Amino acid sequence: MKKGKKDRAVYSHFGGLGDKIAARTALSVSTVCILIMGFILYFLVKESLPVLEAATFSQLFFGMDWYPQEAPPALGMFPLIVSSLAVTFLSSVVGLPVSLAIAIFTAEIAPRSLRGVVKPLLELLGFLPSIVFGFLGMAVTAPWLQERFGLLTGLNMANASALLGIMMIPIVGSLADEALCAVPQELRGASYALGATRWETIRRVVLPSALPGILSASLLGVMRATGETMVVLMAAGGAAIIPRSLFDPVRPLTSTIAAEMGETPVGSAHYHALFFAGLILLLITLAINLLSSKIEAKSLKL
Amino acid sequence: MDKTQTKSDRDFSHPQVRTENLNLYYGADRVLQSLSFDIPRGCVAAFIGPSGCGKSSYLRCLNRMNDFIPGARAEGRVLIDGTDIYAPDVDVIALRRRVGMVFQKPNPFPMSIYENVAYGPRLFGVRDREVLDETVRSSLEGAALWGEVKDKLNTPGTGLSGGQQQRLCIARAIATEPEVLLMDEPTSALDPLSTARIEELIRDLKSRFTVAIVTHNMQQAARISDHTAFFLLGELVEYGPTSQIFTAPEDKRTEDYITGRFG
Repeated sequence: MKKGKKDRAVYSHFGGLGDKIAARTALSVSTVCILIMGFILYFLVKESLPVLEAATFSQLFFGMDWYPQEAPPALGMFPLIVSSLAVTFLSSVVGLPVSLAIAIFTAEIAPRSLRGVVKPLLELLGFLPSIVFGFLGMAVTAPWLQERFGLLTGLNMANASALLGIMMIPIVGSLADEALCAVPQELRGASYALGATRWETIRRVVLPSALPGILSASLLGVMRATGETMVVLMAAGGAAIIPRSLFDPVRPLTSTIAAEMGETPVGSAHYHALFFAGLILLLITLAINLLSSKIEAKSLKL
Repeated sequence: MDKTQTKSDRDFSHPQVRTENLNLYYGADRVLQSLSFDIPRGCVAAFIGPSGCGKSSYLRCLNRMNDFIPGARAEGRVLIDGTDIYAPDVDVIALRRRVGMVFQKPNPFPMSIYENVAYGPRLFGVRDREVLDETVRSSLEGAALWGEVKDKLNTPGTGLSGGQQQRLCIARAIATEPEVLLMDEPTSALDPLSTARIEELIRDLKSRFTVAIVTHNMQQAARISDHTAFFLLGELVEYGPTSQIFTAPEDKRTEDYITGRFG
């Protein structure tokens, strides 16, 4: 009892009015945020579940035909899901290695003066609205692809994936650069003192040390590609088919929702199917997130 | 300069590290002033002096770690086993394999204990698992750490205590079998017990390596070194057998420093 009193006396400056106000404010703000997230999830589920009256789970996930305006509507989303995954994968293949190379260059190789120029430019590229990329895809790269490879349409998976890959570079590049810069200088010194070259030091010490940061940077980039709507809407071609080549047009989940939501009567099976598409997107990003935290935990544990 | 070339009971005829008229500049600042002295083979040489006196800068001249400091420039000669390490055709990478270094703060790589020690040998291209196993074992034994870690070689090196981490760094440095081992205040971040263990280790190490150690702690220099160099403002004030430096210094400034009148 006596001791408790003494403790309170010592820590009393932590219990002042200002502290109470700050604590309550933080609590209420975070509660509101969590509630909003909860409501989004709730409405997503609530609005998507009625679609099960028109189609079964397996029809939705594995059905090959997406003709939502027919009567009765065909609500097979398999081509949309495959498109989303394929575009995400391809854009990662384009974007992640380039981002990593740029990050290694700015963090480890470029002299300080050059880094001071490249890094802000990179971040500036990140501020470009996605509609600009979409526009570039429609007006510049699509006609070029069409001519160069003699395609039926330049609006296809390769086009959209390349643009999405480029869009990833500013985010992933500058976050990975920061992860590399956060590696303690002493580790580089230790490696050099053992007779390592600069490249050996980067490959064997700096990159493994920065791996968790690089992984979460990559994850942000990949999620951006999955969720990106405007570029795929404008440049991916919009055909709800399973792509058989890089140059087939595709219709990912995001652009499907964006293109069709305005055209469908509220409460129709189609309307609920589009919410269901949103739910699938959420599940995909959740899966990527879980996967990456698994990998991260593994890399930390060695 | 004559007084820095004090005669001693050790053999000075084949020095391991011979420094001849070495000047080091950081930009326009001259941080080391015409150093000339010899470190004999198989002895522990301690460098003492107040902060900023150039003792760490000198240490980093010996494996050319100063090359990484923009604007750093060395003049003069440093001969390790008779080869001038500042000659234009010197392979710095090969030099650093001959001259190992232990830093002030323990800095194990974020890898397993095994991989930390195997890092240097792997850089040489050692792939044979048996050879690596043997090197890791003997290096950890050499660093008096084997008994404590032999059952957890695959756990992260960063999970060890501070003193163990520093011994791991010593094991890592001796795994490449250097001729000279540089230590930059290796115990300044450690508790007294860990410090005692490292000091004991340093006394053992000198049978295999020539050790050059920078220390802030004069008692430490007195305990572990055979030769002591006293630096002040980039100048080598006095160099000689440790017993002589601590009992009968020739220079007034040395005496003032070791008796605690400044520093």
